Amino acid sequence: MTPQSTPRDELPNPWDPMLRFLRSAGFRFALLFAVVFSAAAAGFAFVLWFATAGSLDRQTDAALRTDALGLMERWREGGPGAVADAIAERLAADVENHAIYMLLDPQGRRVAGNLDRWPASVGQGPDGPWSFAFVAREGTSVEARIYAINLDDYRLIAGRDIEEKQRLRDTLAEGIAWSAIAASLFAFLGAAVLRRALANRLRPATRTAEAIAAGDLSRRVPSSGRADEFDRLGESMNTMLDRIDRLMEGVRGVSDSIAHDLRTPIARARAKLEEALADTSEPGALRAAIEQAIADLDHITRVFGALLRIAEAEAGARRAAFATLDLAAVLADVAEFYGAVAESRGQALETDLPERLDLVGDRELLAQAVGNLIDNALKFTPPGGRVLLSARILAREGVEVSVADSGPGLPLEDRARAGERFFRADASRGTPGSGLGLSLVRAVAHLHGGDLLLDDAEPGREPPGLRASLRLGTA
Amino acid sequence: MPIRLPLSVVLAAPLLIANGEPMPRITSDSHEYCTELVGRFARLPGAAVEPARSLAADGVRLCEEGQPRAGVAKLRRAIRAAQAPP
Repeated sequence: MTPQSTPRDELPNPWDPMLRFLRSAGFRFALLFAVVFSAAAAGFAFVLWFATAGSLDRQTDAALRTDALGLMERWREGGPGAVADAIAERLAADVENHAIYMLLDPQGRRVAGNLDRWPASVGQGPDGPWSFAFVAREGTSVEARIYAINLDDYRLIAGRDIEEKQRLRDTLAEGIAWSAIAASLFAFLGAAVLRRALANRLRPATRTAEAIAAGDLSRRVPSSGRADEFDRLGESMNTMLDRIDRLMEGVRGVSDSIAHDLRTPIARARAKLEEALADTSEPGALRAAIEQAIADLDHITRVFGALLRIAEAEAGARRAAFATLDLAAVLADVAEFYGAVAESRGQALETDLPERLDLVGDRELLAQAVGNLIDNALKFTPPGGRVLLSARILAREGVEVSVADSGPGLPLEDRARAGERFFRADASRGTPGSGLGLSLVRAVAHLHGGDLLLDDAEPGREPPGLRASLRLGTA
Repeated sequence: MPIRLPLSVVLAAPLLIANGEPMPRITSDSHEYCTELVGRFARLPGAAVEPARSLAADGVRLCEEGQPRAGVAKLRRAIRAAQAPP
């Protein structure tokens, strides 16, 4: 589809509404309903016909076959004379007046029976001895079912006048035809109702989608309260829209934070460079300005690097690099590195680690996450304070790495936002940092099937300190 | 009518027309057959017993009044009644 329109596109096609109707899901469902309903009605009619008209036909044929077998028996016992007597007896006792017989001798002369001539259609049809024929009864043509057999050189017909049964079949056929018309009407009526019901139930979702497409992201699909498939579809759409809304808010927040947090070092670097440019007489000042500008640009690069790492972790892109590792060794390395930093600040970094802690994960990201936690703890712990790095295996095949400090702790209202990008609590404004450290820790926790929990290190004590627990699942 | 007529009849109808033969006639609805049945009835041992006798009399009357089909039906019932064990 190109956005350009041709003159042909501009001309409205009068068949478009009809084509749209034929392509609609509502029409297809309705058509399916009509087909299924009609098939059910046809099946019912078939069973009815088989059980009534078909049964009558089968009864007639069975009676004729039995009759003919009886006459064959008489033929074997007494020849043509016995068969002629049997036919006369049977005709004399035929109170229903349905029986038709005829026995012809080898010369074609009638020996017995109640037909004046041999029906022309007998023996010429596709059903062998069975055939239908028209015979005249008191000047009226009636239909007869005929079973014809040869008795040596003689020819015998045993038949029945089936006019009454045909009338019954006609009545039944007429009833089925009217039922078929009624069933077709019901099928189309039901299809129309089904299509309308579908359209009505889908309308709220369609309207919401149209409103969102038009830019109103606050619209949600209203629930009918029936808790049916359409309500579930609406709920799913609403959940999806809420999620998209949150993501968009997050993206917007990150964009704002990037603009805000990076403006300061860029502006500072620019001011320093301008200042140095204006006063080029002092090489020392120029060099200091350039070094400061480089430091600011390094900070910006680090921020972008951290953002990229968080994005990578959140996207799960590094999951392919997961490998089995001994987390205790990783933690010991990190503790050794930060131990020197703590010592230089007059703090104590203590560890409580198991001998071995096998885990499947990303060594580099885990080391950085734990490093960020220790770095945070050291930043907020006053000189003389202590930071404890501990790790333990959880009951349900998980691992918990905790970093507890003796700092001021974190207010409850800030803990929920502590993992957001660029978030910095009021108390931490004076300390260096970008507000991305805990975001990375949380992203790494999620990547490893876990989470980041923050609580008081020593509840009840003042200050309570902060315990950051990095829970890692089996990933 | 297509529901009423089986395929074999539909196929047979042109043959009947093409051959030009007259349609076979049922002969048991005739006055002659009435006479035949009366003779057969008279030979039965239970012919004088009611209700066979009355049925036969009705049958003969109907045949003489020009209603052989109804008369034959009555005579057949009379024969059946006369054949029935007492």
